[in-house]
Amino acid sequence: MGMDATLPAPWRIAWRRPESAAGDVFTWAVEPVDGTGSSFLPGQFNMLYAYGIGEVPVSISSDPAGTPWLHTIRAVGSVTRPMAALKVGEVIGLRGPYGSAWPLVAAEGGDLLIVAGGLGLAPLRSAIYQALRRRSHYRGVYVLYGTRSAADVLFADELAAWRDGGQIEVAVTVDRATPDWSGEVGVVTRLIHRAGFDPATTTALLCGPEIMMRFAVLALQQRGVPDKAIHLSLERNMKCAVGYCGHCQLGPHFVCRDGPVLAWPRLSNLLGVMEL
Amino acid sequence: MNLRELVDSQRFCQGLTPGQCTGLAACAGERSFAPGDYLLRQHAVADTFYLVLSGEVQIRLAVPGQGVVTLETIGPDEAVGWSWFVPPHRCQFDAHAVLPTRTLAFAAAPLRALMEQDPTVGYAVLKTLVGTLTQRVQSCRLQVLDVYAPPGA
Ligand SMILES: Cc1cc2nc3c(=O)[nH]c(=O)nc-3n(C[C@H](O)[C@H](O)[C@H](O)COP(=O)(O)OP(=O)(O)OC[C@H]3O[C@@H](n4cnc5c(N)ncnc54)[C@H](O)[C@@H]3O)c2cc1C
Ligand code: FES
Repeated sequence: MGMDATLPAPWRIAWRRPESAAGDVFTWAVEPVDGTGSSFLPGQFNMLYAYGIGEVPVSISSDPAGTPWLHTIRAVGSVTRPMAALKVGEVIGLRGPYGSAWPLVAAEGGDLLIVAGGLGLAPLRSAIYQALRRRSHYRGVYVLYGTRSAADVLFADELAAWRDGGQIEVAVTVDRATPDWSGEVGVVTRLIHRAGFDPATTTALLCGPEIMMRFAVLALQQRGVPDKAIHLSLERNMKCAVGYCGHCQLGPHFVCRDGPVLAWPRLSNLLGVMEL
Repeated sequence: MNLRELVDSQRFCQGLTPGQCTGLAACAGERSFAPGDYLLRQHAVADTFYLVLSGEVQIRLAVPGQGVVTLETIGPDEAVGWSWFVPPHRCQFDAHAVLPTRTLAFAAAPLRALMEQDPTVGYAVLKTLVGTLTQRVQSCRLQVLDVYAPPGA
């Protein structure tokens, strides 16, 4: 990182793109004002600071081999809503990247299964880019994506391009069909039962609402994917992001430092327990 | 694969004797549907139990004021319909092929009679059906929860 890990550096919003019809989801491309970038691993996140307002953790959704860095953000509250109003050229604070990465290298040699729900596709997009670049190192690469409705499909153009490109298998399902949707309907766990991956050699990467991930784990176990091959990215409220403050504690883990990507055997007794 | 081999390769035939599988095969036929064809029609007599071999089927319901709503899609190795098993044996939904779809179609009346006569066969078929139902109920619960809704929505 080469800087005080808790001190945000100034980064400029290079461009901005709306990602949802409702306008609540947008992508920011950001560049360091002083020009010195660094590198990140798929799955890692940055702390983004809207000056004078507050700081939030956001995953990096771009290709780790390229710049600028992209962050895909949903405006939900007191920090992310004002962020949605910032304009191209404005400066934000950024510190990171932080946290653990998807085990993409360890997964090489077998099937790679990516299961994303809703906005959970954003932290997995960087993993998909990397897997595409190293495609020959995997047997099959499967992307299973579930979201609320046709209007909520994130990165719809890219999903279509990946599917048409034929290098990876892409399946998209929505919970609620509208007349304009001719694709699959039903929760994403159903796609797990149908996908053609080989459970014995599969590494599964999951990101989405926690309830969705719990049922996805169950579906993976039913298919015979070993627990240690199942990896989840978790979200917890964060403050320091470097393992000092304890805000992000989940049982014995600090999500900012030990996570956000954690293997299922470390989580099986913790998820779904009230108040953790 | 001929019809008998297709029936034998189904999950519920594993653990059954060749004689029991013969009984099941006697109720079965292979049936194909072009996109747009209906496997089941709402309110019609539910006289067939389908297992999808390949293709894709939409389960749809006409909702007053909303038109026809697709509730879920069914793919290979999944069952379509259970009204054939539960009186009054009337379809509650439409099932409509989206892609060219091949199915194994079991005639409901002889299948029910066979399940009644030979509880081992009945139990094997029911296990398949309950597996399907469990997945569907779980799906429905998650759909109702609206897990992807923005916080506070
Ligand atoms: C490692 C990590 C990576 C993340 N990556 C992304 C990302 O790529 N894109 C993105 O949009 N968000 C991401 N988040 C979530 C993001 O940090 C929160 O949405 C943000 O902190 C909300 O801040 P706020 O002040 O705007 O909302 P607040 O005012 O804090 O909250 C507004 C409402 O949202 C609820 N809420 C807050 N955070 C969450 C959450 N994470 N999940 C569900 N409900 C929540 C609150 O309970 C409240 O009801 C990530 C979080 C973590 C920990
Ligand atoms: S956010 Fe402070 S310990 Fe994780």
